[in-house]
Order: sequence, then C-alpha cells, then structure tokens
Amino acid sequence: MSCEQFELSGLDMDRPDAQPEEAVSAREHAASCERCFALLQSWRELKQDLRFLQENTRFLSAPARVEMRLKQELRTRREARVPRSTVAIATWALAAAAALAVAVGWMHWRDGSPSRIVNKAAVSSSSRSGTIAPDSSMLLAADSDSGAFTRLPASMPSPYENREILQVRMQRGALGRFGLPVAQDRAAEWVQVDFLIGEDGVPQAVRLHDDSQLDSTLQ
Amino acid sequence: MKILDEKEPALLKRAVRGDEGAFLVLYQKHQASLYRYALRMTGSPWAAEEVVQEVFLLLIREPQKFQPDRGALGAFLFGVTRNRVMKHLERLPREDSLDAINANGTTWREPEDPLTPMMIAEKSERIEQVREAVLGLPTEFREAVVLCELEEMSYEEAAQACGCPVGTIRSRLHRGRALLLAKLELLRDAPRRASAGAK
Repeated sequence: MSCEQFELSGLDMDRPDAQPEEAVSAREHAASCERCFALLQSWRELKQDLRFLQENTRFLSAPARVEMRLKQELRTRREARVPRSTVAIATWALAAAAALAVAVGWMHWRDGSPSRIVNKAAVSSSSRSGTIAPDSSMLLAADSDSGAFTRLPASMPSPYENREILQVRMQRGALGRFGLPVAQDRAAEWVQVDFLIGEDGVPQAVRLHDDSQLDSTLQ
Repeated sequence: MKILDEKEPALLKRAVRGDEGAFLVLYQKHQASLYRYALRMTGSPWAAEEVVQEVFLLLIREPQKFQPDRGALGAFLFGVTRNRVMKHLERLPREDSLDAINANGTTWREPEDPLTPMMIAEKSERIEQVREAVLGLPTEFREAVVLCELEEMSYEEAAQACGCPVGTIRSRLHRGRALLLAKLELLRDAPRRASAGAK
C-alpha cells in the first residue's frame, strides 16, 4: 500500500465494515512509514475525541414540549374531523328529507287534492266558438289535460289572454252554481274539475277529467 | 395484538385517524435519532427541535407522502429531516454553539466519570474543540462525519441516507477527516501532524 492509498483508505482499518485485506495492508504500511504512522496516531486521537462527543450526545432526544405540541395537533385534527362528519351527515339527511317532501308533494298532487296550478296557460283562439282548447305549450300536467274546455254560461270569451287553471275536486252538483245543468241522480258524485280563471278571477270555462265526462254531467 | 408489535404503516394509519397511542409509538421510536442528527448538523438545539417537530407534523398532515413500498418509515423520516436540516443550513448562518443549553433548558453534563477534576476539564475542552471543529466543516463533509463517525452508519447506509454513491461518501469522509485533523492540530498547537492530515 502506498502513502496515498493509506490516506484514502488506511484510516478505515479500525472500522467494523473495513475489508480485512485492506486493514492488514494498512497496518503493515503504517508500521513501515513514519509519516503515515503519525497520521494514524492523530486520527486515533481524533476518533477518541469523536467518541467522547458521541457519548456526550448519545442520550439526547427531542424535548417533551415537541411531543406535547404534536399530541395537541393530533387532538385538534381529530376534533376538527368530528364536526366535518356531522355536517356531512346532516347535509345528507336534509337532502333526503327534501327529496321525500318533493315526492310526497308530487304524490299528493297526483291524488287530486285541491291545488292551484300557477302555470300560465295561453289559450287558443278556438275559444271563440265556445270551446277553449289549451295551447300545446301549456304546462298543466299533460296526462290529465287531454280534453277541451267548455265555456261557462254568461262568461265573456277573451282569446289570446293569459289565464290560470284551477284544479278542484268537487261534487258534481256544485257545478250548478256556475250555471251548468246537473243530473240530480249524480249530483253527489265527486269529480275532478279544471276551471279556466280569467284575469278578473272569474271562472270562464270548465273541463272535467277522466270518466267524469262533461257531457254526461250536463245532462 | 400489542400496539408495539404492529407494523409501522398500520400504526401510521391509526395515528392519522387520531390514535395518540399509535402515534407515540412511532414518535418514540424515531425522534431521538432524528433529533441528534439535526443537532449535530445544525449545532442548535432550537433548530433541531424545530426540525423534528416539522418532520412529525408533516407525517400527521400529509401521511400519504410516506409510501411503504419505497422504503421503511425510518428512512423516509430521515430523508425529510435531512432536507429540513439542509434548508436550515442554507437559510441561516450557524447559530449558537452546542455547548450552550440542551433542549430541556439545562446545561449539558458530562457523564459520570471517575476522573480527576483536571482530567474532566481537559476532556470537556477536547469535546468542545471537536464539536466546534465538526460544526465548522462544510456541510457535505460534516454530514459524512456525523453519519459515519457519530451515528456509526456503514458507508452503504450513509450513502443511502444521503442519496449518493458509496464512493462519494468515502471521499467526503476522507476530506472531512483531513480537515478535522488540520483544525484540531492547529488548535492543539501540534502542527507536525496537521500537514499530513490536510493533504
């Protein structure tokens, strides 16, 4: 081993992971070279001092306040997580309740309970002849809106005006109040009726649903 | 199954969910070595404390950064610690000396030693000189000395920790030793060996 090689790797001879051949070679070189032997002695003194320094700091660890701060951070995050999950649950619950309310409302409407349809209906000019047919763009539920309106007696036809439709479930006999003839034997029957309301709030035309045909009512 | 027997990724999952016990197992296992490394590199107990705190806060806040398939938790934490230490060293000039105060606020004490007061004083002085000399090394040489001599890592372990080849570590350690020898020989008024060491 040369002096340059000794400087590069000879000082590792005392390390546990040193190559045995290199360590033997380094020892032989140090024994024969005064300069490298002096270097080895200096290094061993320094190594001893480094060991003192190592022992001096061997049992040091982070102060307890670091642990406290980290635990506090964990707790804060845990507490923050609980309200977040609560809010999420509450949001889902509200959404479910809203969906349920909409479904119940829709079913209620489908059952025909009295309700006011606020959609505006543009009425076609066919009402001039006494029968008012709804415009195709009318938003009233289409499945129950297949029939045409029959103008009520004494009402003034006013085509092209915007009207409102009022859906009512009533006894057939009550139609007599609007000037319509009613068969006495069927006066107690309940029927679903649409009234076409003018801008003055007065019904102008009427339409019966399904099996409660207007013609038979008016007999 | 005892909490101490659990694997670190499982413990980390529990810790992130707020399990203090699981977190403390991980913390107690790794904090001391990380703190010592940071302290030996920065020379500042306050900086070392801050670094350790930041490292574990990162683990709590961004646990997904640790990927078990890429290595052990200890290696991950050491990598984060090393990055923080390097940033600290780039940002600030060296702070107060290691001798001042330890992290608990008390003066460091020598271990109990059956030496005379004179010998104890000499030993303390030598430790202080070595400490100063190590802290005075350029960062990359200091790191090699800290890892290979103070932390007693093998060359392979140190190379892995630093993310560089083994040859680089050996070279840095060789240079670090030479600089240390030169400094200490000068300090101890023994120039006869300094020239050999500084080559």
